[in-house]
Amino acid sequence: MNMPHVDDGTLHAYLDGELSPPEAQAVEAHVAQCPACRTRLDEERALIARAEELLAQAAPPDRELPPFRPPDVKPPARLWWQVRTPLAWAATIALALGIGTYVGERERGGPQLAPTGRERPTIMADQLARPAPAPGPATASAPDSAFAEQRQRLAERRLRVSKQAASPAVVGAMEEKSAADSIARGEATPVTADGYLAAKAPAPSPAHRELMQLSTYGGAVKGPPIGVDSARLLLGSDPLAVPDLPVRGIYRARMIGYTGMVIVEQALDSSTVIEVINGRRSPLALDAVVVTGAAAALPDSQSPGARALLNTRAADSLAAAPRPAPTPPADQDKAKRAASGLFVDVLGPLPPDSLAALKRLLRPLPP
Amino acid sequence: MSDVSADSLAEIYRTTYRALVRFLYRKVWDAERAEDLAQEAFARAVVHKPENARGWLFIVAANMARDEARRAARERRHLTLLTAESQDGTPTSDDVFQEEQERVQVRTALEQLTPRDREVLLLWDSGLSYSEIAAHTGLAPGAVGTTLARARRRLVEAHEAGEKGEHAARG
Repeated sequence: MNMPHVDDGTLHAYLDGELSPPEAQAVEAHVAQCPACRTRLDEERALIARAEELLAQAAPPDRELPPFRPPDVKPPARLWWQVRTPLAWAATIALALGIGTYVGERERGGPQLAPTGRERPTIMADQLARPAPAPGPATASAPDSAFAEQRQRLAERRLRVSKQAASPAVVGAMEEKSAADSIARGEATPVTADGYLAAKAPAPSPAHRELMQLSTYGGAVKGPPIGVDSARLLLGSDPLAVPDLPVRGIYRARMIGYTGMVIVEQALDSSTVIEVINGRRSPLALDAVVVTGAAAALPDSQSPGARALLNTRAADSLAAAPRPAPTPPADQDKAKRAASGLFVDVLGPLPPDSLAALKRLLRPLPP
Repeated sequence: MSDVSADSLAEIYRTTYRALVRFLYRKVWDAERAEDLAQEAFARAVVHKPENARGWLFIVAANMARDEARRAARERRHLTLLTAESQDGTPTSDDVFQEEQERVQVRTALEQLTPRDREVLLLWDSGLSYSEIAAHTGLAPGAVGTTLARARRRLVEAHEAGEKGEHAARG
């Protein structure tokens, strides 16, 4: 034999198909005339097979490939018929939430009569909307558990609400929301009583919207921790945070109506944690589509009777909607941000004015 | 141009995502977490647009898994979660139990390899070529086969030793 034995590494490389053709030929030539190496080749082949078998036993469950979702910076150019179904779902759920809140308040005979914060569907909304601090369960010393509890309540609430709002009611809710939105925006709509309603009750409409928004994102599902890069991608811009506060974590969150939602957790002090909610509204957000699309479609598709019903419902909703009269100053700010597509809010076991103050401090998180 | 790279990344996603999850799973031992980390790695690839996206993804994934392991060790929470999951999460049929046992044995055997041997083995099993593995680990391309031979042998031996130990313990 004019060639030394083939070493293990080369045998494995040969069996793995990683040798160049001349190298592979050299191995074959040697093995052909060397029984010892032939035996070793078989042994190594068995070893490789066994190792693969073992690794296969430690493989994750084979799941379907999730769709590639590169966080797009530009709004996706989707066609309306591709969008309609998910959008309809989003609208249904979000509106069921809103109407459920309203129905719930009526059931209990109004917000003032609710004895504790326990049954309140939208504690966060109340906290923000009320000028005076309302010490409830949410201001307990363990912020995490308090929030978990809140979310739990909201989730239960949502479940109950979606049961109440069976399909006809949901359709009604959708119409009502579109009407309420039109009023809130002061838009001319084909609904005849709108002028009257808008003149009579100009203030409650934004409050009503506010309430819905808050109760909706209160139900956001907090996901796994992510890096700043991913947060930026999800939002299409820098996530906002309170400067000079240590960031405890950045989390992805999911919520219908938002293409991207990020929660920045920051420690205010050793025992207080605040959450900065950054949400990028879907380019096909509820207001945008329901108002322009549905309202425009109303005169053609709705019978006069249905329209009358719609008016009554809208009036009801405005009359019965809880109206926290003084709106926090941060609202305009928020409205502006919401309009620009980014929705930001600060949650934490603090009085509303403190939260509002923190919100005014928000700055883009440095990379 | 960015469309082209997005397309190629989508293609890489299609061909590499599962392999990346597989790779990550053997590091974090939590399927959902592995999937999240894989998604995260692809999200970063979209931003950084690396030239050799495949190799880059595995490097990023390896780093994320290492950070994850450090944090888990610090918080001592990960294992508790895993245990809780395996106790009440799945239906306790014999097959499932058996599979879980096998998984634990392979995991134990894998953990007895040196970090470099283990890394090379996991990368190969995820479909990387010798040259990709060499680039990832800094090994000379000629050393990959030798490392892989040693890693495979140790894995099989450690697994056999573990099985024997198991039988002895059951007595």
